[in-house]
Amino acid sequence: MILLTNVTKEFDGKRKVRALAGVNLHIHKGEMVSLVGPSGSGKSTLLNLIGTLDQPTSGQIALDGQVLSGVADDELTRVRRDKIGFIFQFFNLLPSLSCLENVALPLHLRGWKRKEIRERASELLDLVGLSQRKDHLPDELSGGERQRVAIARALSVYPPILLADEPTGNLDTHTGGEILALVRDLHERLGATVLMVTHDRAVAESCPRTVTLRDGLVVDDIARR
Amino acid sequence: MNKYLLIFLLALPLAAQDGRTIVAESQKRARADSQRYEGTLEVNDAKRKVSTKRWVYERLGSAGESKAVLRFTAPAEVKGVALLILNHPDRASDQWMWTPAVARERRIALQDRRTRFFGTDFSFEDLEERDVDRSTYKTLGEENGAWKIEGTPKPEAKSQYTRVLIWIRKDNYVATQIECYAKDVLIRRIRYTEIEKVQNIWTARNVEVHDLQRDSRTTMKLEKLQYNLSLAAESFTLQALRREQ
Amino acid sequence: MLLRLITWPYVRKHLLRCTLTTAGIVLGVAVFVGMHTANQSVLYAFNRTVDKIAGTTQLQVTAGETGFPEDVLERVQGHPGVGVAAPVIEATVQTGLQGEGNLLVLGVDMTGDRNLRDYELEKADEAIIDDPLVFLAQPDSVIVSEKFCQRNGLKLNDWLTMRTMEGPKQFTIRGVMQGDGLASAYGGNLAIMDIYAAQMVFGRGRTFDRIDLSVAEGQQVDRVQKSLQAMLGPGLQVDPPSSRGQQFEAMAKIYSMSANISSLFALFIGLFLIYNTFSIAVTQRRGEIGILRALGATQGQVKRLFLLESGIAGLLGSLAGLGFGLLIARGMARYISDFMGEVYGAAQRAEEISADPRLLLTALALGVATSLIAGWIPARNAAAVDPVKALQKGRVQVITEGENRTRRWTALALLALAILCVFFGHRPLFFYSGYLLSVLAALLLTPALCSWLASLLRPFMKLLRPVEGALAADSILQSPRRTSGTVAALSLSVALVIGLGGISKASYETILDWADAALNPDLFVSSSQSVTQRSFRFPASLGAEIQAVGGIDEIQAVRTARIVHEGIPVMLVAGDVQRLAKRVKMRVVEGDPRTMYQLVERGQGVVISDNFALLRHVHKGDVLHIMSPSGRLDLPILGVVVDYSDQQGTILMDRHLFVKHWKDDTINVFRVYLKPGYTQQAVRQELLNRFGQRTRFFVLTNGEIRAFILRITDQWFGLTYVQIFVAVLVAILGIVNTLTVSISDRKRELGVLQAVGGLRSQVRHTIWMEALAIGTLGLLIGYALGAVNLYYILEVTRRDIAGMRLNYRYPFEIALTLIPVMLGAALLSGAGPAEAAVRGSLVEALEYE
Repeated sequence: MILLTNVTKEFDGKRKVRALAGVNLHIHKGEMVSLVGPSGSGKSTLLNLIGTLDQPTSGQIALDGQVLSGVADDELTRVRRDKIGFIFQFFNLLPSLSCLENVALPLHLRGWKRKEIRERASELLDLVGLSQRKDHLPDELSGGERQRVAIARALSVYPPILLADEPTGNLDTHTGGEILALVRDLHERLGATVLMVTHDRAVAESCPRTVTLRDGLVVDDIARR
Repeated sequence: MNKYLLIFLLALPLAAQDGRTIVAESQKRARADSQRYEGTLEVNDAKRKVSTKRWVYERLGSAGESKAVLRFTAPAEVKGVALLILNHPDRASDQWMWTPAVARERRIALQDRRTRFFGTDFSFEDLEERDVDRSTYKTLGEENGAWKIEGTPKPEAKSQYTRVLIWIRKDNYVATQIECYAKDVLIRRIRYTEIEKVQNIWTARNVEVHDLQRDSRTTMKLEKLQYNLSLAAESFTLQALRREQ
Repeated sequence: MLLRLITWPYVRKHLLRCTLTTAGIVLGVAVFVGMHTANQSVLYAFNRTVDKIAGTTQLQVTAGETGFPEDVLERVQGHPGVGVAAPVIEATVQTGLQGEGNLLVLGVDMTGDRNLRDYELEKADEAIIDDPLVFLAQPDSVIVSEKFCQRNGLKLNDWLTMRTMEGPKQFTIRGVMQGDGLASAYGGNLAIMDIYAAQMVFGRGRTFDRIDLSVAEGQQVDRVQKSLQAMLGPGLQVDPPSSRGQQFEAMAKIYSMSANISSLFALFIGLFLIYNTFSIAVTQRRGEIGILRALGATQGQVKRLFLLESGIAGLLGSLAGLGFGLLIARGMARYISDFMGEVYGAAQRAEEISADPRLLLTALALGVATSLIAGWIPARNAAAVDPVKALQKGRVQVITEGENRTRRWTALALLALAILCVFFGHRPLFFYSGYLLSVLAALLLTPALCSWLASLLRPFMKLLRPVEGALAADSILQSPRRTSGTVAALSLSVALVIGLGGISKASYETILDWADAALNPDLFVSSSQSVTQRSFRFPASLGAEIQAVGGIDEIQAVRTARIVHEGIPVMLVAGDVQRLAKRVKMRVVEGDPRTMYQLVERGQGVVISDNFALLRHVHKGDVLHIMSPSGRLDLPILGVVVDYSDQQGTILMDRHLFVKHWKDDTINVFRVYLKPGYTQQAVRQELLNRFGQRTRFFVLTNGEIRAFILRITDQWFGLTYVQIFVAVLVAILGIVNTLTVSISDRKRELGVLQAVGGLRSQVRHTIWMEALAIGTLGLLIGYALGAVNLYYILEVTRRDIAGMRLNYRYPFEIALTLIPVMLGAALLSGAGPAEAAVRGSLVEALEYE
């Protein structure tokens, strides 16, 4: 499903920073993988590259068999929109939109019919257990609830790949656990491939497979059970 | 031309008396019922540029009641410009100027008399004939055979000068020099030379005015001088001024 | 300290935005300073010209513009309080010289006048040339200024051509003036000639325009003024020279009024721009504020910091505005001065601008105050930021709903007050309060109106682009606060444009209607190229000769003259009233057209123009006290007609009455009607053949006169167009500024949009649509506000400016023209930020805080 071959990423700044130094990684369809490593090891960079938010300096990324290098920006966006759902640490909900509208946003962008959008968005909010909150603004929700909305938004088109960047990082342990359970539940129910960046050992260990990065290289790759 | 000039030019000597008597005598001796001459005027300004003008001067009557017409004959630019002066014993004279090109006479107002007479070093006031009693006099002494007399114009004379010094020859009562002061500053000095007897009247044929402030000099020569000729009174009116161009 | 640590880095980062923010203040202050300085400069130039020409003149005897017989001079000179009195003729003539325009000619009495003025005659190269005797003897003698000579390569004894009563004529320069006195009056474009020669050249007959005098030594000026006035009677005015400036001021007042309205609008717009930017800045800098507060800054400190920032922004903007204003003042001054010269024949040349420190300080204060007011609410909001919440990333504080509600209620209350004011509108205080209140109400209502209109627009936008349209509409709907500032600024500009455009349209219509009715002769015979020039006049006898020309059906002799009526110059039109009325069907406002002209003809009264009646608050039946050189004329008003011959009003009087009391039978204009079958061109040619050589003679066709009227009207509105241009400029700056700010503010949001699958083109189009929608909202609200504004501007014009009853005509053409302009500007200003948003790094955008 996700295939990375010799992927490197350098950032230009005052000093060139090599975030990824040649990563090879293969994630199969339906896997749930956690990505761990110390700060600055390149976890988020890797996630952004897979999520097509950014392009690698060298190497190749293929999603669902489609090679991403040399693809035009709009094509990348299309890949993103069809295949990828994002969950961010800071939720990144639009503050001026209600929960329902936030969830519906990707559907709008896809030009769905209004009625279908409404149905799907309600269904998704139901799925994350927030159907009673659909007309609330993000600011009126707790952190956990916001993250649920973000998850619902990520799932809005039932993407085959779900990418989560520290989804519990901004939440207390209890809520974090709930969110994690939700992700796992959705993974099982919807069969999406999940890649989750985390620095929480417990969270990482709850996934069947854990990839460890250090200094831009994969240093460990453990599959459990 | 100058009032003192006109007044004193022709004076004759008499016994030394007080200032007023001398001046009155000087005036009396110059008296003639009429006068005519052709004048030539040369202005030498501070930059030593010279301009020359000619005119004919006719006067009827004498002193406080005289009438005079001055008509320019050269140069061509000013030919025909004429001046009519009507003197009054009791008040300032009336003066009109006639400019043929615009066919207009213009009255020269009383207030304007301190201004220079058309680029010469005379002022309009200097052209008036005045009664002797318009000033008070004091004899200051004698110099080179002449009385030195100080004249102070009375307020009603509306003179630009506050004081004049007059030198009158003792032998023939002819004025030889006049100095005009305004607030103790010497404005003009007038010198009379070439004094000769014409028809029994002592007359200066050459008058030099020196404007000390502008350092400019005007020299006037009197030619073809005649006294007591018959002149028609009608010639000394505005109508005549307009008519005879 | 806080300023350097907190504000400066932010400003440096958003330099362009901060610059744009102050643009409104810059322009507002610039318009204020520019217009007023231009006005003052023209006034100053006029006064200076008057002063310099006046020399040591302490009093002037005049009879309006008409002049008076020569014998007045002797009466004046005979007055015991008068020291020196000198007659003057003043006229402006055209020289044939390239780029010199008009020359102000003073005819003075060279035999005595020099006591009042210092001519500083330059010594001539040849002695004869500066000879006063030659000067007087030759009527072609002129004295010109040294500056004028240098500019045109002229020297003593050279010829100078002037268009005189007798056609173009050559004059000889017989003297050159130097120095900063008289020689520098009227920008050096001054010629002096003999007064009698001037009478001839300007067709004055035996009249003088003026007597300049100084009082006798030891006399008091005001006493002499009073006793001289008593001696001369009411037909002649005895005033100090400076009073001419006061009359001029009355004429220039119109410019001040419109300048005030425009700059007020610009400042209002500036207020919204600043408010908008500061509101956004406060949101953006929430984290910073939180840190400050966490570190111990009090609410007061935070508030003061933001107020200080807005104060500094206002100060910088105002300073820039001052500079800019002084820069544009020069051009405006020249424009106003040309116009004044053409219409009023007032001699002045605004060569330099004179900046009044009080005006500059006022402008500065206005700019800073505006900025402080604009910054007050954002500063208060900043102070209210909760440090704990602010420090939590990803949390945005919402605006309280309460504020909106208060605003809406205030708006409605103001609106009610404004409507109430309309009912008491005859009182100036209520009228102008109503104006201000309605604008304020509209501005406060803008957010609510925005939401409402946006929801109305949403279906259309969706129709246009289903996804982007809906997103854009929602963006406006969901953040009315963000957009309403822009929309308010925009709608103010639109309203200003609509108001100014409306009045110019209405004026054109009204003036053209009037011109159609009143200016219907086939030909106009005038002694000047322009009918407003009255320096030259015809003798009355010319009328009979013109009448004798073949093809002429009727001629009407008209004498127009500007007289001073109760301190303000008005136009006196003396003619054969009944014949005029037969040919011209003037709209009668008051009076009976069947009888009133007959009565006027009999000299039993006058007919006045509508604008005269409105400006002076007089009606039929009132008695006018008109001052003529022979005394006061008490004439009843027999009727009021619509006539726009003059901006300050017209008095129509029978010519016989004028000739009798003004002792002046000269004519400015012959109105010529042709018999059928004769063409204007043919008769014009015949007239020119017959009279053209003999005298100064101009024949204008009906079309040319109308073109002239239009040109004058164009000039009159020229400054209005400048203001419209400024208004549009401010509007465009407003859109650019607020869209730039609001889009960069939403960088993260736009990033999210892309992260969740928005195509670049979708993001781009969304922003474009939003910009267009904001433009549309601004236009719609502006159109409505413009309708109100137009009403008030027309009223102001009627009451306080021109006394013109203008029809309310909404300028639909201008409204339509604004659509592409404003939407184009909106689109353009949205395009830049949109590109920046889609081209930027997504990763960075998502982390943007």
